[in-house]
Amino acid sequence: MNPLLTPELGTYVWSLVIFMTVLFVLRKYAWNPLLDFLEEREKDIAESLKMAESAKTDLEQIKDESEKILNEAKKEGKAIVGDSKLRAEESAAKILNDAKAKSNEFLDDAKSKIEIEKKRAIKEIKEEVVDLSLELATKVLQRNVKDDDNSKFIKSSLEAVKVDEAKS
Amino acid sequence: MFIAEKVGKEWTMDQAPQYAIDHVANSKKNIFEFEFLNSLSAKISNFFGISSESLFYIDLGISKHVFLLFFVSFIVVSTIVTLIQGYISHKKNIPNKFMSIIEMFVIYLRDDVLKNFIGDKEYRSWAPLVYTIFFFVLFGNVLGLIPIFDLTGLIGKIGYKAEMLGKDNILYLLSKGGHTVTANVNVTFAIATITFVAFIAAGIQKYGFVQHWKNLAPSGLPWPLYFVVVPIEFMGLFIRPLALTLRLAGNMMGGHIALIIFITFIFSATAELGGLAGFGIAPFSISLALGLTMLELLVAVIQAYVFALLTAVFIGMAIHVDH
Repeated sequence: MNPLLTPELGTYVWSLVIFMTVLFVLRKYAWNPLLDFLEEREKDIAESLKMAESAKTDLEQIKDESEKILNEAKKEGKAIVGDSKLRAEESAAKILNDAKAKSNEFLDDAKSKIEIEKKRAIKEIKEEVVDLSLELATKVLQRNVKDDDNSKFIKSSLEAVKVDEAKS
Repeated sequence: MFIAEKVGKEWTMDQAPQYAIDHVANSKKNIFEFEFLNSLSAKISNFFGISSESLFYIDLGISKHVFLLFFVSFIVVSTIVTLIQGYISHKKNIPNKFMSIIEMFVIYLRDDVLKNFIGDKEYRSWAPLVYTIFFFVLFGNVLGLIPIFDLTGLIGKIGYKAEMLGKDNILYLLSKGGHTVTANVNVTFAIATITFVAFIAAGIQKYGFVQHWKNLAPSGLPWPLYFVVVPIEFMGLFIRPLALTLRLAGNMMGGHIALIIFITFIFSATAELGGLAGFGIAPFSISLALGLTMLELLVAVIQAYVFALLTAVFIGMAIHVDH
């Protein structure tokens, strides 16, 4: 018999026993733990990839939103500035107008007061002239002594009136 | 390989084939004798009615190949368990150099072989078997290629003459160079037996005992064809493990025998044509042996893969009958 093909049942039995032992030990301490570990790791990786993907979309959404908010804020800011400018202009115009109106009012008031004072003064002068005339007439009547005298007196009185008129 | 000095002057060219065969074959005697193993062997053989002179006597003594089987299984278990436990307990997701090689094989076998042939759900219960077959056969093949035991031969040359201890002494046997357990048909047949049991168990587990055997014959054939198909399928069932056995053992055996024959060119040339011819042929012979060793390394991985792959395929065939 060829020694390379001799049946050796002893070797066969030993091979079975040894292989089964190796199988048992490796199954318990190597393959099952390793397969569990690999599965766990693959699950982890898949989950992290998913998370990264969702984070990416979240980020994009947030970016979009922030851009939108920024644009709105810009618009609002512009609107606010424009509005306030308008208002400031308005109020400035109003203040100016008010001031003008008030100054006009003062001016009118002063004018009218002056007018009244003037009228009153003229009236007072007129009354004074009448009084003086009356006084003068009485004085003329009382001193009817001489024509010369009379005429002299009238002349001087008239001069006095003239002086008074000029004075006032 | 320290064959040269050992064979010495008695070498003739026609010794070469026998020398190579002796190198690859198991030892004729056990290298360790244990009384309890001898009595156990006798008891078991008696139980089956096998006489001690019979070719089928169950000798449980520790022969060269059984010793190497222990050695290989020790290396496999210690290497793989240490690496994997170290990897898992550190909770780091980055494997080291050796672990990444193991992980590469494990993931490749899982995704491309196990899930593919056995199925996404069923693969988990058969994965340990396929992995163990792959790594056991791989380590057996590769350890046979590494001439670790040539060092013992070297020590033997310096210290004492190994031959003086007798041809069946362990030191003498181990000094003869690397031995491949997977080149022994009994070893490969044992692993193939496990594959055989596994794929029948897979079928029975899935379909029940009766239905599994019914699955042997594809349904829907005209009835006279069953007389042809059933015997063919039945024979196929037993041919599968036999093919596994001979494929692996033959590949490993062939490589080693060729390797040794190439080396013996040097001695043959020396013996027939003189020392100068031996020196002349040595570079040629060594480079051939070197190239063949590289090839054998490739074959070692391929054969381990083929064994594991076919185991997965057979289990898958038993589970998915319609294929």
